[in-house]
Amino acid sequence: MRGSRRIVLLAIVIAGVWAAFYLDLAPGQLIPRETGWKVAREFFSAAIRPAAVDESGLGVSLWGRAAKGAWLTVVFAATSMSLALVLGLVFGLLASATIWELEDSGSNGWRHSFRRFVAPVLYTTARAFIALLRSVHELLWATLFLAAVGLSDATAVLAIAIPYGGTLAKVFSEMIDEAPRGAAHALIGAGASTTRAFFAALLPLALPDMAAYSFYRFECAIRSAAILGFFGIQTLGSFIVQSFELNLYREVWTYLYVLFALVLIVDWWSGLLRRRLVAA
Amino acid sequence: MSKSSARAIAELRRTRPRNWVGRITGLALLALVVVSWTTHNFGWRHLFTARSAENFARFRREITPYPLQERAFDWDIFTTWLHTALTDKVMAAVVATLALSIAAIVLAAVIGAILSLFAARTLATADPYLPGPNVPHAARRHGWRALCAITRGFLIFMRAIPEYVWAYLFKAMLGLTAWPAVLALALHNGGILGKLNAEVIENVDPKTPRALRALGASRLQIAATAIAPTALNRFLLYFFYRWETCVREATVLGMLGFVSLGWFITDAQVRTNYDEMFLFILLGAGIILVGDLVSAGARRLIRRAK
Repeated sequence: MRGSRRIVLLAIVIAGVWAAFYLDLAPGQLIPRETGWKVAREFFSAAIRPAAVDESGLGVSLWGRAAKGAWLTVVFAATSMSLALVLGLVFGLLASATIWELEDSGSNGWRHSFRRFVAPVLYTTARAFIALLRSVHELLWATLFLAAVGLSDATAVLAIAIPYGGTLAKVFSEMIDEAPRGAAHALIGAGASTTRAFFAALLPLALPDMAAYSFYRFECAIRSAAILGFFGIQTLGSFIVQSFELNLYREVWTYLYVLFALVLIVDWWSGLLRRRLVAA
Repeated sequence: MSKSSARAIAELRRTRPRNWVGRITGLALLALVVVSWTTHNFGWRHLFTARSAENFARFRREITPYPLQERAFDWDIFTTWLHTALTDKVMAAVVATLALSIAAIVLAAVIGAILSLFAARTLATADPYLPGPNVPHAARRHGWRALCAITRGFLIFMRAIPEYVWAYLFKAMLGLTAWPAVLALALHNGGILGKLNAEVIENVDPKTPRALRALGASRLQIAATAIAPTALNRFLLYFFYRWETCVREATVLGMLGFVSLGWFITDAQVRTNYDEMFLFILLGAGIILVGDLVSAGARRLIRRAK
């Protein structure tokens, strides 16, 4: 079946060429003109000498702002992730096929009809609901909240938590479905109830993957929290915009490097966790 | 349960493998969550007041199509409204969103593939895949090690800065063409693909590359003939996985002013035409769902190609 791979590659090349022509991506436009050229030169030359002290002249400490922005970015990410995890676990369990498919030894009567008729409805509803949550981007959730009640710190947290909850639920349900079912079946054969077998012998097998993935999403949540600063929340993004609009490019680079450091730490920790949890 | 079996279970429990990294991580994160909830005042109270309930009710009225507000649902009125709301410009923005995501992911794949060659620890060494002990010149050895480390750091930096921030910065330099959006998406995703591809290269079975090396093949020849064919399937799987996120982000980058659906969403929001805004957000969700389906189909094709 090497042919299908060739078709996919060909389709990618054709789509890429079409997109370049549709968007009018002439290489000549990549060279900035006049003011743009000045901004580009000053911005990139500031990369090797980020600001170490405040340059705005407003008398506020640069590191104070950077520390506040970084801390609030982490706080927003952690709060959103805690809500997203609750959503993800509840709907991830509901949307996994396994939890409904594990057969009981004495599954007849109302249990059987529940599994036969009610479970598929619950399962399908959960899947559709998850798709709805995660197919709206966090910035669009923020826009919706902005239009409804205004964007506050609380609604910003919800804006991240809702789509992240949907994504976690989808991935959790897939991980549960991919976990080997042998141990659970053995327990059921020995007389355990399906619920017990699920929580004792199936969920623990999927848990390391779920934990590692959640940690990776925490890294993404840090980026999302930083971006919400563009909408007025006091995270790193808001400081980046402030300094950039005052043409203080060296300060912008300080903030970019702080964000880089945050991601670097989480990435290192995430790698450590993955090696210890998933490989073992 | 007999006493001895209870003791056996207790013994099993006592000697179970403990994962300290996992435990410390869990405790640290739990502490972080508790501190986050308690030290920062998010203003949750304001969300559960009569005024915000009123606001939600008003918003629910406003997102229903304008001609249908305060009257029974009528299919004809709804379709007419749909036709006026979904102008040719909006439909062109939908196509532009897809084009942005495709152009960006192709560019990201090129960037990621090239950088991954310098970021893979097995390939970016002074003498890759040499079967015997071999001591190349110290300067060359350190040079390659430094190059590999710098490339890896650069990849993390590309990925650490969100697309939205890159796009905002590039807009000031390149103006409102499609380039800043494409570059922003390509840079961020190039960082991710580069890292993932480097891992794939490191996991390639070293037998063939070693044999080729022993026959005198160069680094580039090994990469092209022994690594690329085996690693390509995984490359493509990651390519489509990242394309899904590109579609999501391309929609949103319009909020900075680029031609994509996001621009029309912001525009409708500024005009407080919340019924149109809501429709466009649903349209965006539709694009993402279609993108996910196409990607899932393509990935299935690739998996079968093994």
